[in-house]
Amino acid sequence: MPDDDREPSAAVRPFWSGTITFGLVSIPVDLYAAVTPRRKSMKLVDQEGHPLGRRYWCPKDEKVLDNDELVRGYETESGKMVVVTDEEFESAAPEKSRDIDLKSFVALDEISPFFFERPYFLAPDERAGKAYALLAQTMARSGKAGIGSFVMRGHEYLVAIVSENGMLRAQVLRYADELRTPESIGLPEPAKAPAATVRALAKEIDALAEPALDLAEMADVDAETLHRFAEQKAKSGQGVIAMEELEDEDGEGARSGEVIDLMQVLRESLGASVAAAEKGTKAKGEGARSSAPKRTAAKSSAATPAAKKPAATRTARKKAHARAAT
Amino acid sequence: MSARAIWKGRLVLGKHEVAVKMYSAVEDQAVHFHLLHEKDLTPVEQRIVRKDNGREVPKEAQRKAMPLDDQRAVILEPDELDRLEPESDRAIHLLRFVPRDALGDQWFDRPYYLGPDDDSDAYFALAEALADKERLGIARWVMRDKRYVGALSAADGYLRMTTLRRADQVVAVPAVRPDKARTPSAAEVKLAEQLVESITGAFEPEQWHNEYRARLHKLIDAKAKGTKLRLVAAKPKEATGDLAGSLRASLAAARGKRVA
Repeated sequence: MPDDDREPSAAVRPFWSGTITFGLVSIPVDLYAAVTPRRKSMKLVDQEGHPLGRRYWCPKDEKVLDNDELVRGYETESGKMVVVTDEEFESAAPEKSRDIDLKSFVALDEISPFFFERPYFLAPDERAGKAYALLAQTMARSGKAGIGSFVMRGHEYLVAIVSENGMLRAQVLRYADELRTPESIGLPEPAKAPAATVRALAKEIDALAEPALDLAEMADVDAETLHRFAEQKAKSGQGVIAMEELEDEDGEGARSGEVIDLMQVLRESLGASVAAAEKGTKAKGEGARSSAPKRTAAKSSAATPAAKKPAATRTARKKAHARAAT
Repeated sequence: MSARAIWKGRLVLGKHEVAVKMYSAVEDQAVHFHLLHEKDLTPVEQRIVRKDNGREVPKEAQRKAMPLDDQRAVILEPDELDRLEPESDRAIHLLRFVPRDALGDQWFDRPYYLGPDDDSDAYFALAEALADKERLGIARWVMRDKRYVGALSAADGYLRMTTLRRADQVVAVPAVRPDKARTPSAAEVKLAEQLVESITGAFEPEQWHNEYRARLHKLIDAKAKGTKLRLVAAKPKEATGDLAGSLRASLAAARGKRVA
């Protein structure tokens, strides 16, 4: 990936660049993570605080290997190891790798949340012109999502392209064969429940009914607990070490590094005038008539300044590259 | 083929409790690869080493450090981490029931089916009551030493729980208005709406197949048999110049297809 020359936000890098096609209209776009990693991720050290890292080790040669000494192999049922090269991976998806072809549009509320896997923001490339805004407006007005698929990093992704507040998002969907059903799990057939029990439970639901989310209920209490304890311990001076060169314990660094400064991306890619979207303020949906105001408010206040982890990111990304296409 | 429950708990709403078993709703279909040493195809292992001298560090000598800021982190000892783990009483607390559109797609993380445990009357009664209300229940629980937030829903007579991302993970979508040069004309919007309308249909997930996965399997089979492969590289697309013209041509094509 080329280095980003926009210096204030080195962490802002697209995951992927490609084209949305919609009929004969092509819209070049860049893909960015739309959710940030949880704040409970810790760094791996030894007892004295020396930074630790994951390395690939050849048990036969008894030595650490560089990423360019590795290949990916598939073990067939007969136990044979078949090596698949990068070129072969790419070759498995020739036309599709750079395109998200929107083959059909569906009502957004028809897609069960069970399908939602991971959201990405789509920012228009400078060559996109007004086609991007056109698609965003059209979908927002109709309450529709466009369905298509594309290939990124050795996986084919089924996506729903969703429009909100003038911005397009690609929500990765699970394929139907990746979801179990009550039958495949072996759940008992639904039985008619006693009417009195249904009524009693309906009453409990009514008693707890609210028009909107309370973000305090959605807080990351595990992360908060860890941070509070860490701050407390740091005051005693015990166990404090320098952050340099530390690697994430869960190996999720590739994601952690891709935290985006969304506002920056928008300003630069959309040439957009961005309405009040600071923390806690309610964003007004221009040209997004159909989006629910409650939802907008909830999300706006959920905004967090993106944490930057420059040192750990580069190594983690390299590592992820070697792991790609699993 | 039936699946095994991953956990048992009880939904707590007001004075009522409903015992449930939890099942993953996801079936892994990914093609899994081993990383091999290129030289002689020895499967490699992952080792945790000290970065400065490359020496391996055994599990018991590894620690976790929580970052405080850009400069400092604090080492947390295993017994300290143990003490911070929440206690589980197997209660899944229902905090509130919100309209379905209160949660945008970015919130949803992993889907689970809930099945009845012991009292199936209460289970199916809750599924029926919740389906009637068209709401989602916001729930919190502790499972295997971790806290979860989830959305309880009902579909086809069964209860489902989808874990949710935390509030600070969901990036807000600011309102964006493109500058003049990138604002489409009324005529273009109308054409685009017609085009979207012409290819609108029902969401049919079973119509979509992971072709890449299938081709990868084919490629591996061919290679295992020693067949020579012809490789094809991807070509990037050009951006659209004449927007209205492209829309009109697309619309004509979509309509033509429908007539034919």
